[in-house]
Amino acid sequence: MSALSVRQALGLALLAALAIALPFAFEPRGYGIRILCLALLFAAMAQAWNIVAGLANQISLGHAAFFGIGAYTSTLLLIHFGITPWLGMMAAAVLGGLAALLISLPTMRLRGHYFALATLAFGEVMRVIGNSWGGLTGGPVGISVPFAKPNLALMQFADTRASYWLMLGALVVVTVIFVAIKRSRLGYRLRAIKENADAAEVIGVDTTRTKIVAAVISGALTAALGTLYAQFQFFFDPDTVFGVASISVRMAMIAIVGGIGTAAGPILGAFFVIPLEEIANQVFSAQAAGLSQLVFGVLLILVILVEPRGFMAIGPRIRRLLRREER
Amino acid sequence: MVAPLLQVTGLGKRFGGLQALSEVSLSVAPGEILGLIGPNGAGKTTLFSTLVGLHRPDAGTIRLDGRDLVGLKPHKIAAAGMVKTFQNVALFLDSTVLDNVLTGGLMRHAIPEARELARRCLERVGIGAIAGKIARDLSFPERARVEVARALCTEPRVLLLDEAMAALNHAEMDAFMDLLRQLRAEGLTLVVVEHHMRAIMALCDRLVVLNFGQMIATGTPAEIARDPAVIEAYLGRSAA
Repeated sequence: MSALSVRQALGLALLAALAIALPFAFEPRGYGIRILCLALLFAAMAQAWNIVAGLANQISLGHAAFFGIGAYTSTLLLIHFGITPWLGMMAAAVLGGLAALLISLPTMRLRGHYFALATLAFGEVMRVIGNSWGGLTGGPVGISVPFAKPNLALMQFADTRASYWLMLGALVVVTVIFVAIKRSRLGYRLRAIKENADAAEVIGVDTTRTKIVAAVISGALTAALGTLYAQFQFFFDPDTVFGVASISVRMAMIAIVGGIGTAAGPILGAFFVIPLEEIANQVFSAQAAGLSQLVFGVLLILVILVEPRGFMAIGPRIRRLLRREER
Repeated sequence: MVAPLLQVTGLGKRFGGLQALSEVSLSVAPGEILGLIGPNGAGKTTLFSTLVGLHRPDAGTIRLDGRDLVGLKPHKIAAAGMVKTFQNVALFLDSTVLDNVLTGGLMRHAIPEARELARRCLERVGIGAIAGKIARDLSFPERARVEVARALCTEPRVLLLDEAMAALNHAEMDAFMDLLRQLRAEGLTLVVVEHHMRAIMALCDRLVVLNFGQMIATGTPAEIARDPAVIEAYLGRSAA
């Protein structure tokens, strides 16, 4: 079951080759490849969110907290101590995991809307702290990653294609971690919690501990991705990296639109949502700023009403139909 | 008499104004099949939920092999060896039957061993053929059996069955009772809540009768059948 068939392996290899070669079809420093980079990054973020939300159905609306912690951690380490973002990313992951542990202890007993609201509040608290603790973060003015001569050691590139490959690598790493968790005992336990938490406890699943372990992994990965974002954008402020709409809800929406709880869902979702968002912004921003947000709200409501399992539900639907015909 | 495996003393549980259990004391010997009967609302399911830690009792002790279980979370009680099935059936509905049962085995085993154990449990309960089905697509009697297989897969010492025979026909019920006797012969201790009097009388070594959260009688099936308090609880005052 865990081993791939030859056909699947070939398909994956082909996909990988395409993904690696894709930047050559774009202008090296152009707008298109930047969109691709963001789509890859947001796919990885939604995949990290998917570990807790998709497998255990603990819908977090506060993942911006970990993302922002990651962006600030590596950037501040670089500014004040000259520490390379590669190490900064490790520190970010540790702090992100720690933050997830702290927020999980009181909130993991909550279910459904209560958990969503508690995590939403946590993200907002981090945004307020980021804005008011100007001495550390630079406050609402924002913070810039010190510009250096492009080099790999400082995670700065002259060619956006290098950023693309970095983001692609990040997505692969997070996706591999997601799939490994899904197939492990942790994954079975998370699914049991999602489908019936009381029954899971009664047959021996430590539901609280299981959820916390998943939350820490998810928070650590999200923070590490925050570092990549900082190194990619060079400038950010608390409202962006700790934002509800810009980060928390977007991570959730991408995973939900693509197919929550599946490995391919966040990837499909990101490559649908991020480019569409850019197009909507360009089309609508001249006439009515904010209209694109409305379009997205409507889109999300439609997906949840029509097919709450997202794009990924279409495949299984067809497969189930075929299986029924075989019988 | 042998030392009891499960010993409950003075157990009490109140929900707001409702005294769901009061002063419930019972003991189950290793390898015994104890029946728990009583009218609807008597507190049988509440007693089971309290025993496995889903409710914390207000009073009393629960000892498994001498160890006090009060205050432990359900997964710790499962690890100690006591598991219940759910009356209204609480399967993982979007998972396959095999994955449902396998999850019970993960407490003590890695995935491959848990999968083998799960297959054996499904065979024993007589539903090996539906291992690949999604739980949501099953009939109610099938779901009840998956519940039992999943509980067995945790390798319990004491199994609490909450109306596991509901919706079975006579032949299926006889087969199920044979299975329970066989499990008992292998060392499992059982506490059974059941509405089918024929089944419970034939199966159990002893019965405990609950009414309004209190124990009103205990004894062998034959003794219980002619106990006036029990007859009154079931049939009303005039029949006694």
